[in-house]
Amino acid sequence: MITKLAWKNIWFKPLNTILSVILLTSSVAIITTLILVEKQFEEKFTSNIEDVDLVLGAQGSPLQLILSSVYQVDSPTGNINYDSAKVWMNNPYVEKAIPLAFGDNYRGYKILGTTHDYLVKYKAKLAEGKLFEKNFEVVVGSEIAQKLNLKIGDEFYGSHGDAEEGEVHENYAYKVVGIASKTGKVVDNLILCTIPTVWQMHHGHEEIPAHGEEGHIHEEGDEHQKADLTLDEPNMEITAVLLKIRNQMAKLTWQRVVPQNTKMQAASPAFEVNRLFGLFGIGVTALQYLAYGIMLISGISIFIALFNTLKERKVEFALMRVNGARRFQLLKVVMIESLLLCVVGFIFGTILGRVALSMLSNSSEEDFKMSFNPYEFLWQKEGALFLVTLFVGFIAALIPAVKAYNLNISKTLANA
Amino acid sequence: MISTKNIRFSYSKEQEFIFPDLYCEAGSTLLITGDSGKGKTTYLHILAGLLKPTKGEIVIDKTDILTLTEKSTDRFRGKHIGVVFQKSHFIAALTVLENLEMASWLATGKKHTKRAKKLLEQLGIENQATKLPSQLSIGQQQRVSIARALINEPKVLLADEPTSSLDDKNAEKVIELLTSLSKEYKAALLIVTHDSRIKEKFINKITLI
Repeated sequence: MITKLAWKNIWFKPLNTILSVILLTSSVAIITTLILVEKQFEEKFTSNIEDVDLVLGAQGSPLQLILSSVYQVDSPTGNINYDSAKVWMNNPYVEKAIPLAFGDNYRGYKILGTTHDYLVKYKAKLAEGKLFEKNFEVVVGSEIAQKLNLKIGDEFYGSHGDAEEGEVHENYAYKVVGIASKTGKVVDNLILCTIPTVWQMHHGHEEIPAHGEEGHIHEEGDEHQKADLTLDEPNMEITAVLLKIRNQMAKLTWQRVVPQNTKMQAASPAFEVNRLFGLFGIGVTALQYLAYGIMLISGISIFIALFNTLKERKVEFALMRVNGARRFQLLKVVMIESLLLCVVGFIFGTILGRVALSMLSNSSEEDFKMSFNPYEFLWQKEGALFLVTLFVGFIAALIPAVKAYNLNISKTLANA
Repeated sequence: MISTKNIRFSYSKEQEFIFPDLYCEAGSTLLITGDSGKGKTTYLHILAGLLKPTKGEIVIDKTDILTLTEKSTDRFRGKHIGVVFQKSHFIAALTVLENLEMASWLATGKKHTKRAKKLLEQLGIENQATKLPSQLSIGQQQRVSIARALINEPKVLLADEPTSSLDDKNAEKVIELLTSLSKEYKAALLIVTHDSRIKEKFINKITLI
């Protein structure tokens, strides 16, 4: 009954209420979005660097190397010689080395030459079909398969580089032989093939005809034109190598030794990602302060609304006392009104925050192939936010509630 | 029934009110009159347990309400004392019927919806039940406050200048309703007034000097 009265009182002054609720909603929405983005962003970033201690690539910005080779969001720093990379890949300190060669794209999705280890690293299994074995066989990430509606046996042409509008390579068609299972990591948005596929696709222009003339003694030479390249081909280039290192010391020393002795660099993903979070952190913190500032303002707005209506409602409260209400019940009415506002604001805020996140997810999906899940609930952090919101309501209602509690009925009624 | 003995009250040291003893049977009416500043409203607030006198005894239905704690006074007042004020005030956000339900819930913990509807019918305002109090005329509002005062079937019904803001016709009607309903609900009716229109209607009178 008291709650019902509080509820009716709230909506009796809809403008005051709407102002308070809008303020609360926006602050809760901002904080909720930040909490979810921060958590899911970190999760995505850290899950992708699991088992990658160092990345070997061309010299340039280490952050760019990490972003391009691990997260597939930036353009690569350049190419490295596969033969000189092999020297490091075969080092006894290296537990696992996964070479990467960037080639073409298909409708904006990168076609990446690599080995089967790449799928193993991301714990991606085959949902359908088989692994790529021969050149131009590809395994498609789950999300691409779904979006572009690719099926086993489909063939397509790639465009050069990472721009969708790049030159189309029409001399070879890729053939889908497998579709990877969903992992929630970058591999979902990649098309994987063998490294020689990338080589062959690009050497096709100049070198291969000559190659075919001298090297091909086969009868079917005319149909085949040229032999498939293999990983053993000398003097070829790749883009980067993901390394898992056995030796802790090597992780550190290689970052210095590699650029000193070669034209390559070895960058640590963990270090670069931390640096990146540090940069993001400033923005996130600023937004958080802003959101808590708005929450403070909404607290003040609730306080002013309650305080003003208290003047008008003094007689109302005195009357309730005449009708048998106890002091504590008046305190409860004021308190519950404020808390109800906060609960309503929190509910709207959580919903609005998730709507914002799903919109953000759509645009980041297009730009960075990174999506956020708006339906995830972080009970601990959002629970804490809920408590903070209630606390704001409690503080805002404290003075008006105590005033209602201490109301002098006789005086109020005599002056009414 | 209600009886008082030796009530004294003071707002400050210089001025002390000494109120005459009174006695009123269930179902009968007593008028308390007097000029402004003689403490009529103060006396009514004391009788309602809203103010504590410095001295004295108020017995309502065998309970001396001055010996009760504040919390029990609140509860006792809700259950056994009904008050009608000069100007009617309501919980603005609730409808007429909800105001009556709230009054019975605060006192007894139960919503006496049936009794509330019956009272509104007796007062001739049953068709206003779902309106907000502010949408009613002053005369109608005064009737709603009578209904609210009677909702818990009190032993004592106190009325503070119930007619002063009403026209002759409405004043007469309100007095008639107050007396007839207090008889029906067996409540002792105490009317504090300086309204000459109703003074001659009653025999039992106390004048504060």
